[in-house]
Amino acid sequence: MGHRPKLRRRLRIRRRTLLRILVVVAALALALAFGRTRAAPDLTVPIGEIFSEAASFAEERGVFRAYDGEGRLLGWAASGSESGYGGPMLLVAGIDTLGRIAGVKVVEQRETPIFWRMARAPEYLKAVVGVPYDEIEYDYVEVIGVTGATISTGAVIASIRESVAEVAGAAFDVSLPLPTRPFEFGLLEITILVLFFAGIAAQRVSGPLRGRIRWVCQIAGLLIIGFWKDSPITLAKIAAMLSGFFPDPRTSLALYLLIAGFVVTSVVWGRNVYCLYACPFGAAQRCVGLIGGKSLKLPAWSVRLMGHLRNLIVFAAIFMAFLTLQPALSSYEPFAALFSLHGSTLQWLLLFIVLVVSLVISEPWCNFFCPMRSVEIVLQDIRRAARRTPRARPHD
Amino acid sequence: MQIFNSGFFWFVEGILFCVMVLGLRAVARDRSIPLTWWKWLAFGVWVLLAGFTIAFVGTSFGEGEPTAAIRGGLMFGLVAIIAAVVLWRVWMIGAPSQAAEKVTDS
Repeated sequence: MGHRPKLRRRLRIRRRTLLRILVVVAALALALAFGRTRAAPDLTVPIGEIFSEAASFAEERGVFRAYDGEGRLLGWAASGSESGYGGPMLLVAGIDTLGRIAGVKVVEQRETPIFWRMARAPEYLKAVVGVPYDEIEYDYVEVIGVTGATISTGAVIASIRESVAEVAGAAFDVSLPLPTRPFEFGLLEITILVLFFAGIAAQRVSGPLRGRIRWVCQIAGLLIIGFWKDSPITLAKIAAMLSGFFPDPRTSLALYLLIAGFVVTSVVWGRNVYCLYACPFGAAQRCVGLIGGKSLKLPAWSVRLMGHLRNLIVFAAIFMAFLTLQPALSSYEPFAALFSLHGSTLQWLLLFIVLVVSLVISEPWCNFFCPMRSVEIVLQDIRRAARRTPRARPHD
Repeated sequence: MQIFNSGFFWFVEGILFCVMVLGLRAVARDRSIPLTWWKWLAFGVWVLLAGFTIAFVGTSFGEGEPTAAIRGGLMFGLVAIIAAVVLWRVWMIGAPSQAAEKVTDS
């Protein structure tokens, strides 16, 4: 009998949690549905910009013909789409009757403004104008490591080549080779695997050795995942995946490894290895905290309040990303500011605040702002519901 | 933002740094911290860094580049603040521990 009130209380909590999750999921689903039902872009507008004298268009199997006012053919145009950092981007390329590229226009892109700037897309779009369709020299391999936004640049180049190939096939009956995007498996991917295995193995040892392993892993993560590759998990990447925009596994294998490691270790094993052993920003905060030397303990109510605030921010960010179908909008993390010195003023300000606060409070980003913490809580709730075990503490 | 380009501003900044030198000396004397040449060298490097940060912000504002001033200020300011904490820890090297101080007091 004594167990009954406890059970009832637990059931009530569960019902409340379930209701909360249902409301959140329903709201996000509605936003995503709204975003998805937007009308497809009218391609004649950008084609009209490429062929400024065009008065009418005719479309056949995705290839447009542009005619002037007297019915003379001006050229052909087609769209090309490739997956970028924040989702697919859509470009339109026009080829004139002499077989030269008349222009390329971006119809849709979902990159974060910083990566879009780094991708130097306008330069690539301008440089191909006037070039014969079969003489485009850009290849994906050329831009790897050159721009700092290789996924975005690679998507721009692939989209240009795809649209040009489409027109060349339809108008000139020429089959152009499509750009090759090589499968990337290098030091970054190996490092991620090693860090996850080391993190799991570290849980089997105790005492100072575990702490030392964590430091070594975090420093490696900071240098390789952070400063070298600038590839931590961001909310924009998760929002893109939840929107159905899955990045090309050939160029984003590291992201898949990180997310898989994060989810699997959180759900199956109950300890989030990514945050503890691989996250470069967590490592940066720990290093700064080590310099500060002291860690203030905040009252429990303020930690709870900040947690609710963080969940609200994450919800609002994903909601906006779904509603506008622009996952990049949800990215508020200051990672790029620290690791590649690119960021908005707001991100720089956030980085400044977080790292200064890290001098006196342990890992403030992880505990109060990080969207991955909210995701981790959801995963832990799933695990708790399945196994009825208590939620693990944030970062111990 | 003409003030940043004026000699008066740098005069004030010089005074502030001198006050800092005197303050650090006083702290070291009060806590019986040994002062070595490399501690002063570290302080000198930090003064250069802090001066550069202020100069960067000031001149950027002066040239009508508020975004550069804000971002540069945040970036170099962050480094200067963290470096200040490092400097403080370097400065405290050789300080007698608080427990030892208590024993001496009693």
